[in-house]
Amino acid sequence: MTHMTSIIRKEVRELLTPGSVISVLVMVVLFAGLGGLIGGEVDSAAELPSFGFIVDEDGDYYDGWNPYDILCNETNYGSEADSKIIIMDSPYDADPSEIIAEMEAKGISSVLALPDAQTFNESIRNGTQVTMEQYYLYEPTGIFGTVSSSVLSSVVSILNSSLSQKIISSSGTQLDYAFIMNPIVSGGDNVSTIVDGEIHTGITPSDISNEITSQTLMIPIVIMIIIMMVGSIVISSMGSEKENKTLETLLTMPVKRTSIVSGKIVAAAIVGLVYGLAYMVGMSIYMGAMTGTIAGTSSVNLEELGMSLDILDWTLVMVSMFLSIVCALGICMILGAFAKNYKSAQTMTMPLSILAMIPMFIIMFTGWYGSGGVLQVITFAIPFSHPMMAMQALMYGDMTLVLGGIAYMAAFAVVSILITVRLYNSDILITGLGQNKYVQTLTGRK
Amino acid sequence: MDALVLNDVRKSYGNREAVHGISLTVKEGEVFGLIGHNGAGKTTTLRMISTLLSITSGSISVYGHDVATEPDEVRKIISYLPEDAGAYKDLTGRAYLEFMASFFASGSEKEAMVQKGIELADLGERIDSKIDTYSKGMMRRLLIARAIMPSPKLAIMDEVTSGLDVINSYEIRDVIRGIAKSGVTVVMSSHNMFEVDMLCDRVGMIDQGNLILLGSPSDLKREFGVDTLEEVFVKAVKG
Repeated sequence: MTHMTSIIRKEVRELLTPGSVISVLVMVVLFAGLGGLIGGEVDSAAELPSFGFIVDEDGDYYDGWNPYDILCNETNYGSEADSKIIIMDSPYDADPSEIIAEMEAKGISSVLALPDAQTFNESIRNGTQVTMEQYYLYEPTGIFGTVSSSVLSSVVSILNSSLSQKIISSSGTQLDYAFIMNPIVSGGDNVSTIVDGEIHTGITPSDISNEITSQTLMIPIVIMIIIMMVGSIVISSMGSEKENKTLETLLTMPVKRTSIVSGKIVAAAIVGLVYGLAYMVGMSIYMGAMTGTIAGTSSVNLEELGMSLDILDWTLVMVSMFLSIVCALGICMILGAFAKNYKSAQTMTMPLSILAMIPMFIIMFTGWYGSGGVLQVITFAIPFSHPMMAMQALMYGDMTLVLGGIAYMAAFAVVSILITVRLYNSDILITGLGQNKYVQTLTGRK
Repeated sequence: MDALVLNDVRKSYGNREAVHGISLTVKEGEVFGLIGHNGAGKTTTLRMISTLLSITSGSISVYGHDVATEPDEVRKIISYLPEDAGAYKDLTGRAYLEFMASFFASGSEKEAMVQKGIELADLGERIDSKIDTYSKGMMRRLLIARAIMPSPKLAIMDEVTSGLDVINSYEIRDVIRGIAKSGVTVVMSSHNMFEVDMLCDRVGMIDQGNLILLGSPSDLKREFGVDTLEEVFVKAVKG
């Protein structure tokens, strides 16, 4: 055996401790489970949503062109068309409030309105484009609106295509190119999105969601970085204190264990919050520069939609972030109590990293509102999720989620501090897990 | 008055008993030495006295305060110096002493305590250097100063001169003599029998968790008919 082989064997043996192997295995299992859950959510989100259709059912549209049949035959709705495409009672020229009332009554968040057959046919014969109106009920959940607005755009496109073919085959090519290509127009000012009962024209739910997402996209990443960084600092500090025996000295001082634990946590939380603010300012400048260069100024003004954040909202975001850092530190103090030295403390950060990554992936891929029951339970249970979704929730006006998250994190922090104090009063802090009778029974060591 | 009383003290780690019913008494102002080979149970015993480890059975009282039921009271009157202890390396020696003094006093009382610590450490201008730059001897002097500065009634020192050179060991022994003269009770462990012989009024020898010898160094040497404590140790262990 060469010298290098000996060194490699020794290093591998030291690095592959039972703790690190278990951490990696747990991570694999967690990510596999998470992948399955997110996959399920994506599948369910990919299901075609229902929408309302205002159409003249008794009228004869242009040259036998039947928009409802077109949708049944040329879209993926297939046999589900009857249940997914809901024919509305309101006429095309009804007052928007009447249409909104029917949407609410039927539980539909989007409606596509085609003029009655007579008006429609007159426009086509005159070679003028027909206007289809779109109505959206903007739900605080946001995600459904995004899906429905893209679906309605596809529906308009399918109807346009089939009608173009019909017009070309029956009228030849004497007509205007723009008319032939798009006999139906829909979009722009023909789109009405209802937010909190107020009608906003010219924007789709998708525009709103995109704007909110662009403003909050980096938050989960920033929070994850802060949690991992602050957690690593605290666990390493615990490992270092044990290695240098400064912790032993501190524990024999006339100071209460709660003061030691709380002092360590609060100090690290303040540092974490300062890091967090610095990261957020940096990221917002970076994102501002990026979006300004690539996308230009957004057409959606969140302030007009009542979705901008005020001082109270920002305060809640800060409180949420602070509490999540306290929770992270509480977990770190518990994990750090089991570290024997600085080196073993490094592997202890793995569970924290996993806990920080899970909500980040869930929130970035499906979002809180797009997640199903199980994912929502997992997301809510992990305290770091709450600041990741607080900004978006406040924009949607979902105060319940934010305040519920703050209450949960406060309780979590208190419980983790109490557990840490208990550990600080036990032998484990000095002797480590190796001297614990349950661990000895499990490992068969004495 | 009894400074320290151990009554049938036992300590188990899981299924293994590390200390098997030790009973002893240390008088006020006495320097008491705990000797024994590695893993005999000395550090475990000192940690139980220092409130760091729980006692499986039996009792320990420090100046009348029960370690198990009144740990906060015990911590006010003891000072513990672990073996190979370090300090916060990013602090200066002075800042470290100020931090530690803040647990015992405030205002002018704290300032006086820190001043006492600085004098005990005797590090000159280096007291304002970062601890990270200290030699092992300087670090030990700072830690002993930290331990003595609050005027504890009982100083507990684990392998206090371990790894130090001759001069540093000599100076630290001198400090311990000074502490004892001022009336502080000292309980120390050491592998250096010469040091124990010179410093300790009485000695307790632990072997495999049992207290097998107890007495003054001179009595023990007489009892075993040998000239040094080292020979007592060897004869007691090997028979």
